Amino acid sequence: MRAALSSEWLKLRSVTSTFHAIGAAALMLALGLVWTFYAGELADERESIGTAAPEQGLLPLVQMSLAVIGVLAITSEHTTGTIRASLTAVPRRGALLLAKAGVVGAVTFVAAHTIILITYGVCRLIAGDRQLGFNEISFSHDLPMLLTSGLSVTVLALVGLGLGFVTRSTAGAIVSVVSLLFVLPAAATYLPPSWNTRVAAYMLPNLVPQIADQQLSRRVGDGLLFPWVALTVLLGYAVAALTIGFFMLRRRDA
Amino acid sequence: MIELRQLTKHYGVTLAVDDLTFTVTPGHVTGFLGPNGSGKSTAMRLILGLDAPDSGEALVNGRPYTSLSLPMRQVGALLDANAVHGGRSAYHHLLCLARTNDLGPRRVTEVLEQVGLAGAARRRVRGFSLGMKQRLGIAAALLGDPGVLMFDEPVNGLDPGGVRWIRDLMRTLAAEGRTILLSSHLMSEMALTADRIVIVGRGRLIADTTVDALTASHPTLEDAYMALTASSAQFEASP
Repeated sequence: MRAALSSEWLKLRSVTSTFHAIGAAALMLALGLVWTFYAGELADERESIGTAAPEQGLLPLVQMSLAVIGVLAITSEHTTGTIRASLTAVPRRGALLLAKAGVVGAVTFVAAHTIILITYGVCRLIAGDRQLGFNEISFSHDLPMLLTSGLSVTVLALVGLGLGFVTRSTAGAIVSVVSLLFVLPAAATYLPPSWNTRVAAYMLPNLVPQIADQQLSRRVGDGLLFPWVALTVLLGYAVAALTIGFFMLRRRDA
Repeated sequence: MIELRQLTKHYGVTLAVDDLTFTVTPGHVTGFLGPNGSGKSTAMRLILGLDAPDSGEALVNGRPYTSLSLPMRQVGALLDANAVHGGRSAYHHLLCLARTNDLGPRRVTEVLEQVGLAGAARRRVRGFSLGMKQRLGIAAALLGDPGVLMFDEPVNGLDPGGVRWIRDLMRTLAAEGRTILLSSHLMSEMALTADRIVIVGRGRLIADTTVDALTASHPTLEDAYMALTASSAQFEASP
């Protein structure tokens, strides 16, 4: 298993697409700066305004960019045909999947938290003591939300990996990730009342505020799930995608 | 040693490999011949456990491939030279494979020198010619210094020097006591390289014999091949 992990780690860092994806995710910092400067100028005119925190508003950018790392970790093997060489080198298919999951999980976990925490810190520094709506809360109060945001990125990358094993296609897996992140949550809010909240509570992006015990959104109101239930559901997304991926990998010819 | 026992594989309604039984023994090059679509590549995938047979079994050194713990040290295979990630360098491509079987960077450098790619080791594979990719695929097969080697059409795209190099390499590897299964459509080349010949057509075994026996009964190996496969070619131009 250690050998498979070290191989997967090298696979990830020996292609430029990994760095492009991390670079795209790191745009959160640049856009967060613009966001904070703009909010700061507005606040100077109006004394105080209520803006959302940039690391929350821009979270989908990081989620989407780093999910691509998970997708490409397997679909690039199918599009190039290297999956056959990989499975010849590691015939135990479960070991190959676990090694990929371990490396994708670790890389996206570190990258996401680094980007989110730096964006958080720099934007608060720039905001200074102006009242922008997001910078009046203490770090210890924000911390659960920050950690959960980073965790949600890793979960999404693992979901992308699992769906990549299922679809064997980069486009197919990315469309599935986009559906989970944007399309289904948006559709859920248009269900008739009570059902909209009930379904929306289980949507992947909506689990983040519920784990951090914050309001879900103005539209669907407070969350329904206890933080630990929401956390279990979030991790369940990754486990489910990887489990389906494993059974497809084991059953199908390479 | 590679053993196929009543190996059968369907893809949908297509019967790719049909009750195929033969043994590839060490110490000589075994040529694996057959028309396009006759099941050669499928048989190789079945031997490597990439595809699962409907029935029968394929054994390498007496065991199913998927049960080998460090498989690259027992079996090396080149299936498709183009199956490499274009964005990765030749060195990293090989090192990714080497690490899975506890092989170090020194061994990667060795095989790159052996196949004549040392000068291109750090270049991305995207810019490689087919001949260079064949050399890279052969390097990957040799990484674990295995006793059993399979090559699917390794001569395609190689220049005359490369063709001669492969011929000498195959014969040297066989003389070292390794088991070599080599598929090719170049009959003249096969006549110079192989000692034994396995011919398949429509997934079935047509002949399992020696080059000498075939050339004794026919003017050339090509004539023998054409006579034996006359009824089993699937894709033929009309005369």
